[in-house]
Amino acid sequence: MALLEVRDVTSGYGELQILWGASLTVERGQLTALVGSNGVGKTTLLRTVVGQIKPWQGQVFFDGQDVSKLPSYQKAELGMVMVPEGRQLFTEMTVQENLEMGATPKRARAKAAQNLEKVYTIFPRLKERATQKSGTMSGGEQQMLAVARGIMGEPEILMIDELSLGLAPVLTLDLFQSLRRLRNEGLTIMLVEQNVRMALKVSDYAYVLSEGKTATHGPSREVENDASVQAAYLGI
Amino acid sequence: MFDQLIVSVTDGMLIGVVYGLAAMGLTLIFGVMNVINLAHGPIMALGMFGVYLCYTVLGLNPFVGLIIVAVLGMLLGMIIYAGAVHRVIDAPHLSSLLSTFSVNMMIIGIGTAVFSTSFRNVNYSLGTVVIGPITVPGTRLSSAILALMVTGLLYLFLYRTRPGKYIRAVANNRTSAGLVGIPSTRVLAMSFGIGTALAAVAGGLIAMALPFTILSGGAFELKSFVIVVLGGLGNPIGALLGGIILGLIEGLVPVFTKVTWVPFIEFVLFILILLVRPQGLFGAKQ
Repeated sequence: MALLEVRDVTSGYGELQILWGASLTVERGQLTALVGSNGVGKTTLLRTVVGQIKPWQGQVFFDGQDVSKLPSYQKAELGMVMVPEGRQLFTEMTVQENLEMGATPKRARAKAAQNLEKVYTIFPRLKERATQKSGTMSGGEQQMLAVARGIMGEPEILMIDELSLGLAPVLTLDLFQSLRRLRNEGLTIMLVEQNVRMALKVSDYAYVLSEGKTATHGPSREVENDASVQAAYLGI
Repeated sequence: MFDQLIVSVTDGMLIGVVYGLAAMGLTLIFGVMNVINLAHGPIMALGMFGVYLCYTVLGLNPFVGLIIVAVLGMLLGMIIYAGAVHRVIDAPHLSSLLSTFSVNMMIIGIGTAVFSTSFRNVNYSLGTVVIGPITVPGTRLSSAILALMVTGLLYLFLYRTRPGKYIRAVANNRTSAGLVGIPSTRVLAMSFGIGTALAAVAGGLIAMALPFTILSGGAFELKSFVIVVLGGLGNPIGALLGGIILGLIEGLVPVFTKVTWVPFIEFVLFILILLVRPQGLFGAKQ
């Protein structure tokens, strides 16, 4: 059974409908990418999955359970953890406090010490900055902290929105490699990216979202070689 | 003259920390949820009556009464949050101003019906304490020490405990708080509860020093606004310092001129700060 299944979800903001029947499944242990141009509803889909907005129609299943109507804090308890676009750190709190807040779910608190060591190993920079206010760090460091805070939540699935946004290419590459490592250690990851080329390189499976619906999907290598995808997103 | 100044400074500081405590309740609520609680004054008045009733009806020591006032204040705050604040928390400021003002009117209406508007006082004394040239009433000194202790405890709570950090996280970024698994609604209700408990306790402390009616909260609510603006909106430590400044003004002005100038000077200061340094003397939260 798939870990996450989104079935024919429609949703949006107020009167404005963004999603027009989006579906996808994320298999356990895989790194799944959700790509598409700006404004097709990638972030909206993620927000719907994580419970920041409710689906108008359709369902979200997590581990076989219908979680469509759960608020996001209860989803975090189940292990559905999101790293939001634009990082959204607790900017007035220290790096360490941000990580501590990341370990709020009961299942995460038991493993907090272990996970803290893990994120400090992946991002040694954060350890050096443990007592610094997170809002005063550079964009790249803040993005590291956002991912690290997600890992502290002991996720079953880590959903990352626009990892590369506003980051230098070298740093982006570093972060993508860190994700790949986490995936190899068994973490299920869903990655939402505008940087289609990079997302297809790093992921196992990919969904292309267009006009609020799933346009095409398949193993990332096949999607990468799809003529229409190449024409639309990769400029080939 | 010099002795007179020392006495005035001491009096001012002692009452100032109590004002600071009240303002802390207002500023905490604003800092966490951007809501200006216009029921702040009547809640202080309820704190006054709480201590009064504990003392006169139950025969409790007023300082023991304060514990009851704190617990009931917390509960009342959570009820007010659920009934009047939760639904308008993301609405424009006018909505929450109107809804907390309605709570204000309800408390005053019911309070007037039950207690009338005649003056009461808590006739409790701890004798006097003599320190060098100055003599202070024991209750005032104890009140000030208690207010400082509560401030210290609040600080420890916010910075050293998990629920306290939840409050700071929700204040800082409510969306992210939900994402990491913090139940924001419960945390908001708790914050509102703590804010009102602080106001009620401050009211209780004031009741031991001054006579009061159910309407007395209004004047202290205005003082709290001045203090909060002085100290920076959303900044609890700023509130304490702002309270001390206001207390000093109240203590010192009568030495040089008529006491009736006090409110005038306070509000001129209020307007000046708003014009010149709207973030307050000690910085507001972003």
